[in-house]
Amino acid sequence: MEYVELRRHGYRKGLTSTEYALNIVNILLKMVNDEKEFIRTYYVVVDKVLRERPSNMASVNILRGIGSYLLENGFNGIRDYIVGLIDKIEKACEETAIIASHRIVEKDVLMTLSDSLCVRKMFKHLVDRDVEFEVYVLESRPGMEGLDLADYLDKLGVKTNLVIDSAARFFVKNVKKVVVGVEALAVNGAVVGKVGTSLLSLVANEARVRVFALAPLYKLSFETIHGELLELPEGDWSYLMDEEVRKTLPQNYSARVPVFDVTPPHLIDGIVTEYGLFAPQAIPVVLKQIYGVYPPKVESLEHIVSQIKEKWGEIR
Amino acid sequence: MKVPDEVLKIADDIKYMRIRGAGKIARAAAQALKIAAEKYSGPSDVESFKKYMGKVADILISTRPTAVSLPNAVLYVMFSLEKTSGNVSELKKAVVEAAEEFIRESLMALEKISEYGARRIKDDAVVLTHCHSTASVSVIVKAYKMGKIKRVYSTETRPFYQGRITTRQLLENGVPVIQIPDSAVRLIMHEVDQVVIGADTIASNGAVINKIGTSQIALAAHEARVRVFVAAETYKFSPMTVFGELVSIEFRDPTEIVPREWINDHPNVEVLNPAFDVTPPEYIDALITEIGVIPPQAAILVLMERMGWALEKIKLGRLDKIKLEDLIEE
Repeated sequence: MEYVELRRHGYRKGLTSTEYALNIVNILLKMVNDEKEFIRTYYVVVDKVLRERPSNMASVNILRGIGSYLLENGFNGIRDYIVGLIDKIEKACEETAIIASHRIVEKDVLMTLSDSLCVRKMFKHLVDRDVEFEVYVLESRPGMEGLDLADYLDKLGVKTNLVIDSAARFFVKNVKKVVVGVEALAVNGAVVGKVGTSLLSLVANEARVRVFALAPLYKLSFETIHGELLELPEGDWSYLMDEEVRKTLPQNYSARVPVFDVTPPHLIDGIVTEYGLFAPQAIPVVLKQIYGVYPPKVESLEHIVSQIKEKWGEIR
Repeated sequence: MKVPDEVLKIADDIKYMRIRGAGKIARAAAQALKIAAEKYSGPSDVESFKKYMGKVADILISTRPTAVSLPNAVLYVMFSLEKTSGNVSELKKAVVEAAEEFIRESLMALEKISEYGARRIKDDAVVLTHCHSTASVSVIVKAYKMGKIKRVYSTETRPFYQGRITTRQLLENGVPVIQIPDSAVRLIMHEVDQVVIGADTIASNGAVINKIGTSQIALAAHEARVRVFVAAETYKFSPMTVFGELVSIEFRDPTEIVPREWINDHPNVEVLNPAFDVTPPEYIDALITEIGVIPPQAAILVLMERMGWALEKIKLGRLDKIKLEDLIEE
C-alpha cells in the first residue's frame, strides 16, 4: 500500500543493509552462465556499490569474496560458491537474530530505529516463542524506514509505538533495551548505522538502558584494521521532501543529509554476531579465533578488481 | 461592574487564537487590563475596584490555561495593585502604568536578548538551533551582523518542520544556514561551537520546556562540550512550578506524523506525538533573558524579581488555579 502524502516527507521504500547485499549477489548469480557478461556485471556492481553505498560492508565483503574466488578458481564452481555465500549470509543473520532474541525477556520494552533484516528476524523469533514484548520505533529520517519496520511489527501482532526521532530521549525512560541493526562494523567495535543510531545510543546510555547492535560478521570492515576510515554517504534536500515542498522554500535553501553515523564502542553494551555476543572492544579477539591469525589476511577490493582486470581485461 | 466589550473582545481573540504567539498574547492581556482600568465606572471604593480587576484578570487567564506568558502578563500588571495604596484613581493609574511598562518591556526584551546573546557567540562560530524561536533567531542575526557567525545548522524539527521557518528567516537576513534532519544532531555536533535555542516555559529549577528534541540536542552538546544557550523573555518563567506544579506536556494529533490511512491500516501501532520535552538545567550553560544572562539554576531569581507578589498569591490559591478575584477579597 502506498501513502501518497508520505512522499512530501521524503519517505522511500528502501532495502535494509543485508537486503541490499543479497540483491547484489543475486544480480551476479543470474550471470554465472555467461563468463564475459559476469565479469562485466561484476565491474558494474563494484562501481555501483562504491558510488552508492560505500559503507555497505556486506556488499564489499561479498564482492571481495567472489573476486578472490574468480582469481583462484576461475569460473569453475562459481555458481555453487555464490549459492553457498547467500546461504552463509542468511544463516549468519538468522543465528545473530536467535542469539539476540535470547537477551530479550518477557515484558521487555525495546527501542529501535530504521529497518534491519536481522532485527526483524529477532522479532520474529520472539513472536514464534510467544515472548510478549513492546517496541518503540523511531520514524528514522531521512527515508523513514521506521515506518516499514512498524508495518512489519504490526503484521506480527507486536504492540508497537511509532515516534519521531526527536522523541527518543522523551520515551527512553519507558524502555528496557535498545536494539539496532548496523551497516558496517569497525574493528575497534564502532558501528556504522542509520543516522540517529549514535544519538539513540547516547540517549540510552544516559538513561542506563543497554544497547545491543546486531552485526553478523559479514558486515565487518576489514579495511579498518589497517586504519582506513569508513566513508559515509550524504544526501541533499531530496531526501527530506518532494519537489512540490521544495518549491515552497527559498531558492537558496540547502540541506545536508547524512544517511549513516558512527556510534563509538563505549556507547554499545554488546555486539551480537553469529559467533555470539561480546563486548565491542573484543572484536580483534574474535577475529583471531575465527581466522587463526591476526590480522586476517584479506586483500582490498580495489586490488582484487585490478587483478581481475589484468586477467580478463576491461569488458564494456 | 460590567466588563467592557473591548476587553471581552481581546479575551475572545486570545481564546480563539486570533492573537497567537507567547509575546503577542502577553501584550494583548496587559492591554486588556489597561483598558479595563481606564473604563472602570463602578463605586469609587478601593475594594470594589480591586474585585473588578480581579474578575477581569480571571477572564483573561481562563482563555488559554496552558500558556505561561498569559498568566505572567496578568500577574505582572496585577502586582501593581498590591504595591500601591491610595484611592481608586491612584490604583487605576498604577494599573495603566504597569500595563504600559509590561508592553514596553516585552517589546524591548527581544532587543536586549539579541544583544546579550550575540555577545556570548564566539568569533567565527558554527551555531546549531532547533525549531523556530524568535528570540534565538534574533540572537543569531545580531551575532551575524557583528561578523561572528560562520554557519548555522537548523534542524528540520519534525513533525511540523518549524526549522524551515528558521531557515527562511535566517536566509532573509543573509545568514548562511544548512538544514539537517533531527536524527543527525550528534553527528553534526562535531562541527558545532554553540547551540542557541528558545523556550516555551522555564521552570523554577531552571529546567527548560521546549520543542520535542531539545533535550537530546542539549545532551549531545553536553557530550561534545558544546555550550547551550537558551534565549527567553522573563515572561516565559513559570511561577506555578515554584510550588511543585508540573508543566504538562501536550500530546498532539498523530496525523501530524503519518497520514490517517496509515494509522487505520496499522491497528497494533500507536503513533505518539508529544510536542515538548524537558531539558534539565545541567545541560544548559546559560539562560539569556532581557534582565541579563543567568545560570539556569538561578531561574528562581527571575521569578522573585518579576513575580514576587504572584508567588504569594499562587501559594495561597493552593495551585488548583489562579483565581485572582477571590484572593483579592481576602
